[in-house]
Amino acid sequence: MAGHEDSGASKKKTADSSNDLPTFNAENLQNNMKIIYYSRTFLSIIGGVIAGILGYTGLTGFVFYFLIMAITSLGLAAKAKFSIHSYFDCWNRLLLDGFLGGLLSYVLFWTFAYDIVHIF
Amino acid sequence: MSFGFMIGVFGVLILAHAAYSTIQYRSLLKILEEEFSGLPMNVVGELLLGLVFCMWAALTVPGKFLSILPYSEENRIVSLPDNLDFMVFNHRGKVFPSKMDLKLKR
Repeated sequence: MAGHEDSGASKKKTADSSNDLPTFNAENLQNNMKIIYYSRTFLSIIGGVIAGILGYTGLTGFVFYFLIMAITSLGLAAKAKFSIHSYFDCWNRLLLDGFLGGLLSYVLFWTFAYDIVHIF
Repeated sequence: MSFGFMIGVFGVLILAHAAYSTIQYRSLLKILEEEFSGLPMNVVGELLLGLVFCMWAALTVPGKFLSILPYSEENRIVSLPDNLDFMVFNHRGKVFPSKMDLKLKR
């Protein structure tokens, strides 16, 4: 990761290399974050419905949520063509953002689908 | 509507059908008075198919990632100066070679 930043910095002019502060296009970064939130929220809802239909209860459902989010992270990294640093400023943006908010949607739709399919 | 969006709708419909099949399977078990141990294989396959379709939709529908690096090719903005009306190119200076580059970066 550090090597990538060094190669990017070497392309800049020599006048800019004096300050090491990395500059980003904030508007495009915000656009990328919006895309990540969209994907994670939608897949949390879908994962919750699937866990409810499968009839998972307790810890198994949460393990399933982690699995879904891991697959989502992998898919998003593949969408960014695995060159994370040209689209995000750090890996945590891709791996962790939207995780807790997605968990709440997941639990909501998990219990909803479980109630409809298995209890009523 | 885009192609990815249609895929997502199809995936949700598959999930709805899988839920309906599960409800019917539960009621059948209730009639036969057996215990619920697990879903039949075709419903599990349907769920996996719906998950794959929805995953496809979730990754393609929201749009493309844009590069955040300020010096990348996509972020280059070529702009012209504002006083174009006052520019005169047809003067005596045009016989000399000029090194003017209008490629301005922001």
